[in-house]
Amino acid sequence: MTDTAIRRPPAASVIGDKVVETQGLSKIYGKSITAVDRLDLSVYRGEVYGFLGPNGAGKTTTIRMLLGLIHPTSGTAKVMGAPPGTPASLIKVGAIVETPAFYPYMSGRDNLRLLAMYCGVSMTRVDATLEQVELTPRAGHKFSTYSLGMKQRLGIAAALLKEPDLLILDEPTNGLDPQGMADVRNLIIELGKGQRTVLISSHLLSEVELMCTRVGVIKKGKIVAEGTIDELRGAATLTVRGTPADLAKTVLVQDVGAENVTELGDGSFSLKVGAQRTAEINQHLVQAGVAVTDLHMDERSLEDIFMELTGTEGGL
Amino acid sequence: MYAALRGELFKAVRRPGIWVLVGLFLALAVLLGYAITYLIYTHPPANSSQGLPPGMTLADFKIALYPENVVKQTMSQWGVLGGVFALIVGVLLQGSEYGWGTIKTLYTQRYGRLTMLFGKLAAMFVVVLAIVIGLFAVDAASSWIVAQLDGKTSSFPSADVIFKAIAATFLIFSFWAVFGFALATAFRQSALAIGLGLAYALVIELLIFGLLAGLGASIVRPIQQWFPIANSGYLSAAFGQVRFRGIQGQPAPYADATHAVVMLLLYVVAFTALSAWLTRTRDVTS
Repeated sequence: MTDTAIRRPPAASVIGDKVVETQGLSKIYGKSITAVDRLDLSVYRGEVYGFLGPNGAGKTTTIRMLLGLIHPTSGTAKVMGAPPGTPASLIKVGAIVETPAFYPYMSGRDNLRLLAMYCGVSMTRVDATLEQVELTPRAGHKFSTYSLGMKQRLGIAAALLKEPDLLILDEPTNGLDPQGMADVRNLIIELGKGQRTVLISSHLLSEVELMCTRVGVIKKGKIVAEGTIDELRGAATLTVRGTPADLAKTVLVQDVGAENVTELGDGSFSLKVGAQRTAEINQHLVQAGVAVTDLHMDERSLEDIFMELTGTEGGL
Repeated sequence: MYAALRGELFKAVRRPGIWVLVGLFLALAVLLGYAITYLIYTHPPANSSQGLPPGMTLADFKIALYPENVVKQTMSQWGVLGGVFALIVGVLLQGSEYGWGTIKTLYTQRYGRLTMLFGKLAAMFVVVLAIVIGLFAVDAASSWIVAQLDGKTSSFPSADVIFKAIAATFLIFSFWAVFGFALATAFRQSALAIGLGLAYALVIELLIFGLLAGLGASIVRPIQQWFPIANSGYLSAAFGQVRFRGIQGQPAPYADATHAVVMLLLYVVAFTALSAWLTRTRDVTS
């Protein structure tokens, strides 16, 4: 991929068949507004894939293209092995696109019964999904009386109605209070177990960090990084400060190799080592007569990576 | 498409707005078509016979309210005006989907956009047919009651005539409903669609031909025959008019029923095709 800074395939243990695949997918509005720019995206069966990006990066446009709601300007996409928006694709996909939309004059249960008719699924699924999202006590009330959190949960119930192989959730915790966010997050983690694939878009970094097995970061319609969160973070580093600096450097080079030692100045060094070696390195420095004044692990947060990749503080 | 039709009917019967609209229309049919008219004919205001042929009173018009004239009366009163209610039905069934954002919910379930669209149109035609049957049912019941009140014996037209009248009214109302549906699809909302639809139904076509009337009937009527309100009028007029002693009836319509049926069918097909094309090609961004 020429347009990406960091892109790594999923770990061998999670590789299944591709359930979402786009090649050169673009959406251009008018002559000059490029919402999605030659996007190559692969989501594999069984993953919880986080689609991360600031507001206006192209997440929702991409998701709408994957559901057949928006026609791409160029490029191709396959969802569950079929073109987006076709019956062969839709029957295996459950989705929430932005705010869940239902008929305000009908109850939550009737809204789900309606969708069950459209999807051709058994009516017994209606009560099962209401139970799953803990909406049964309010299922008989009109949708227009629901709180935002209840609307979101009804949206998830609707997405689950078909028992889909792929769940596409666009900002599923939007507008929820902290408890509601935690509930939805736990539900998604639960749903992502096994062979079901979840593609979730968000600009909330903590959310993605907790839920996703792999992440793609989108900026101005392009994927700029892709991999597990650990891969995106890169190796953690150990910062050491000691005097005399020359002696400290000699000991450190002997311990971890010159290629893993970076001199930061002021008697400080950055080491590419795992946290488990901290005590051992400290012991060697002390035994050699180095006075250690600082020793700590540095781990880049997802927030750091996000800001570095997108140049924004979106969602933070 | 059956699943889509079933779903759309499920929604329609649960929608209070549809019941209010249909109830209001049927209530108006009874009130304006029979109840108020009967009261005026039975208890005419003073000097109400002025302008009528000698020896004639308003009570002589009551014959229009009897069962033998139920088809003529219904067609002449509601053949065109009832279309406005059908237009609102068409707008509501489609336009609200954009307002509520449920259009994206519809198109991400199982079937493609066109299947969902044709399911919705089929449901709309079922609702329109129910309105038409309801209209004839309440008018027939009202005419029977009027005859009973007056102690008159009057029989209903033959089943064949009633069936044709229902079919003709269904075609006229279907045109208006699909016109409203297409406007709602084009503008992706209800308010503008209803506004423009009503403006066309009540003002635009009448205004155009009102202004053109100065050119003379020989020029205007050949043009007018291609327009929907004119054709709704031709089709309604094909069922005849109630004749009153000493009063000259309306002139014969410019075109016959076959012409009107063909034209209205063409409009139904054209607006269905327009809705299908817009639905298929446009992005859903709401």
